[in-house]
Amino acid sequence: MSKSLLKLPGIVAILVLVSIVLAGCAPAQGGQEGSSITITIPEDPPSFNAIVGDTGYDALVSNMVMLGLTGIDPDGNIYPELAAELPSQENGGVVVDEDAGTMDVTWKLRQDVEWSDGTPVTAEDVVFTWNAIMDPEKGIWVRGSDYMDSVEKVDDHTVTFHYNTIYTGYLTQLGGEQLVVWPAHYCDSEQGFSQWDCGRQPLSNGPFVLKEWQVGDHMTFEKNPNYYEAGKPGIDKVVIKIVPEDTVRREMLLKGDSDLIMWVSETIARELEGQPNVGVSVSPTNRWTLRIFMNQAERGTTDPAASPNPFFADLRVRQAVRQAIDVDAIAESVFYGYSNPAWTEFSRDPYKCEVPRPKFDPEAAKTLLEQAGWKDTDGDGVRECHGCANANEGDLLEFELATYPDYGEPILLAHQLIGEQLTKIGMNPKLVVIEGTVMWAEAEDGGTEQSGNYDMDLWDDGYSGVDPTDYMDEIYNSSAAVPGSGWNIVRWISPEMDQLLSETHTLDESKRKEVFCQMANLLDEQLPVVLLFTIINADAHSSRLEGIQSNGNDVVTWNAANWKVK
Amino acid sequence: MINFIARRLVQLLIMLFLLSIVLFALVNLAPGGPLAGQGQSRHIPPERAAALKRQFGLDKPLPVQYIVWLVGNDWMQVDADGDGTPDSMGTRRGILRGDFGFSFQTRQPVIDEIKIRLPNTLYLMAITLLTALVIAIPAGILSAVKQYSKFDITITTLSFAGQAIPEFWLGLLLILIFYVWLQNPFTGEPLLPSGGMSSLDSFSIIDRTRHLILPVICGALGWIAWYSRFLRSSMLDILHMDFLRTARAKGLPERFVLYKHALRNALIPLVTMFALDIPTLFAGAVFVEIIFSWPGMGRLYYQAATQRDYPILLAVLIIGAGLILLSNLLADILYAYIDPRIRYD
Repeated sequence: MSKSLLKLPGIVAILVLVSIVLAGCAPAQGGQEGSSITITIPEDPPSFNAIVGDTGYDALVSNMVMLGLTGIDPDGNIYPELAAELPSQENGGVVVDEDAGTMDVTWKLRQDVEWSDGTPVTAEDVVFTWNAIMDPEKGIWVRGSDYMDSVEKVDDHTVTFHYNTIYTGYLTQLGGEQLVVWPAHYCDSEQGFSQWDCGRQPLSNGPFVLKEWQVGDHMTFEKNPNYYEAGKPGIDKVVIKIVPEDTVRREMLLKGDSDLIMWVSETIARELEGQPNVGVSVSPTNRWTLRIFMNQAERGTTDPAASPNPFFADLRVRQAVRQAIDVDAIAESVFYGYSNPAWTEFSRDPYKCEVPRPKFDPEAAKTLLEQAGWKDTDGDGVRECHGCANANEGDLLEFELATYPDYGEPILLAHQLIGEQLTKIGMNPKLVVIEGTVMWAEAEDGGTEQSGNYDMDLWDDGYSGVDPTDYMDEIYNSSAAVPGSGWNIVRWISPEMDQLLSETHTLDESKRKEVFCQMANLLDEQLPVVLLFTIINADAHSSRLEGIQSNGNDVVTWNAANWKVK
Repeated sequence: MINFIARRLVQLLIMLFLLSIVLFALVNLAPGGPLAGQGQSRHIPPERAAALKRQFGLDKPLPVQYIVWLVGNDWMQVDADGDGTPDSMGTRRGILRGDFGFSFQTRQPVIDEIKIRLPNTLYLMAITLLTALVIAIPAGILSAVKQYSKFDITITTLSFAGQAIPEFWLGLLLILIFYVWLQNPFTGEPLLPSGGMSSLDSFSIIDRTRHLILPVICGALGWIAWYSRFLRSSMLDILHMDFLRTARAKGLPERFVLYKHALRNALIPLVTMFALDIPTLFAGAVFVEIIFSWPGMGRLYYQAATQRDYPILLAVLIIGAGLILLSNLLADILYAYIDPRIRYD
């Protein structure tokens, strides 16, 4: 009896459930007009202020609603956005005072751009933005800010930046991938640049306006009717959905529930290519280069002169490491051919330098190690120090090779392959994986690199655009070797490099190229960092979405105004 | 009883205070820091790091940071612009006055971040727990009453499986089956949505329910297994007791014997067990929320942990710790209330 009593509610429950499952979402297409696309990303952008959060997801949404003075395209060319033209010495926008070593850059703004409330975008906004950035309390440090003395409004659509030196990065000073111009009449400077409310509810001067932001779930954007480019944007509505799991993002794209996945890994790109209704856009230039950092100071110290690293202070050992690694094999087997071999920091026009490609030659690597005094006399496969420069007699050629897990499978596999290849020449690398938040933390937070607490690290680094000046200074200047002062974490001290770095501050492109190519040769000779290959910068999209061009110097929404739906 | 509760509350506060020191130290002393490059830039320029440290209050020694976190700094001068001399009053009020600081990532007040996600988590977890109980209680009773029957063996096997299957694997499997493979025969669309709380622009109960089905199955399975096993063994203990034989001997129908006398006693430990699970209503389920794109507390906490967003981490941890202590107290009180044999004096 109790059985049949139990059965009835059970059956009813199952029937209700089945009907709910089959009910389906009521097709809302009837009332919907215009084109709409969905982008999936794994986490919310912290805000629309990309320079503050620096996660890339903030740049994604920022590109859709905000304009800077300039933007940067996939080939690294800088193009005007709010600026009417790019200031240069030829058009009189840049005036250099050779004697004082200073320069003034005058920007002319477009006169036809309005904020979405109808207020025109003026020089006032540019001055306001710069002052907010420079606020010592609530602002943020940006590249080049130390070089600028003041910003001056000339008239409503002209503004002059006064530099106290020759700064070559002036074109992206309030533009490029992360910096935009904020509305003076809308943002509250009391709240401060890095946390003002207009960073979460922005006023738009770009192709779209933010309609709704349900944190953790989705954001909705609609076409900005006041957008200055006639006939653009080509899409009426953009929805950004937060989908943390990458396999779910992939399946949603394949099912047509999403039109764009930002930043696909090599693994996913390969799975998606050849699938119907899906395309993968790969950036023509790759910003990130996988590279090996070898600490020239002894593990746990930061002064290579006082305490040289037993292994890597010796140039021959660094050269041996480079010759032992089969770059092509790793790029092909783990990165599925999405990467290009890289062996110099200077591989993009206009600062492309001819440096001969190093050969993969494990035998030569072994000879180098022999010459450096690392020999395997006991036949256990691991070399010991017999007359080497910086280690004790008999010490093993044994060290930690660390990488970070956040990037995912490809780098972890490359990590293992590199470990194997180094083992073959008689080294004994111990593979460890360290979280990025530990590897790159401040020295006092236990950051392994800042505190010098590592031997050999493997990760990807690089610079946006085509101007390597600031990047080179942060990575290779000897003053950047002091913990907390920069990212010369290999502790490579080279007066020659410091000299070259100081010579880059000129607007003469051919002179700059000459200096950069001298740097390229010096880096190739001294090998402070071994570059391996570029890693993928790609975005996957549904084939109904047209105009997608992945951009290694920015994020995929850089040209969102030009997108169309078939 | 009043005395007991008062005493326990005082103990609870002391415990919470000690915990706050331990948690603060653990979170801050763990290797890694919020200023490590994330996402795009692998390395933050040192000038920016210095400014951020000041904005986040990380430039002070740890004990000072703890005091500021606890009681705020609006009573002392701070050096906000980094020129080396204190120049303005602080603005933090400290957790004792309800100010949990602001998130390093979003620069939003922590309490707002929690307010956004807590309702979503409560909604999912309450339904998950209810579903688990509704299924687990009858399953547990039946498998005890019909010990070693086919039903019992099936439930036991499923329970072990339910406890053993990892949520992240089950979640992906459910998506594969119900989103990727199976289609609605009428519309040709995937049978169930892959995640989220609802479709855009749709507020119907049916739509919300469809979005609940997979996460609830995924989250409830482990609990069903756990509660039904628990109830089965507690019921079996009771079934062998003398007072049940007495009940049967005085001629009570079996239904009364089982559901009035046996079940009421068997449920006592389950009630306290349930009380101890209440904090999960707040904490959420990390894997379920990640896989099914559910904007809840578990994801907030997970992201804060990977990004070393200390203020959010600490807020979730300390509120969670408080809830665990409170639910322990609640379990003790409930126990005394439903079991006359227990007296706290």
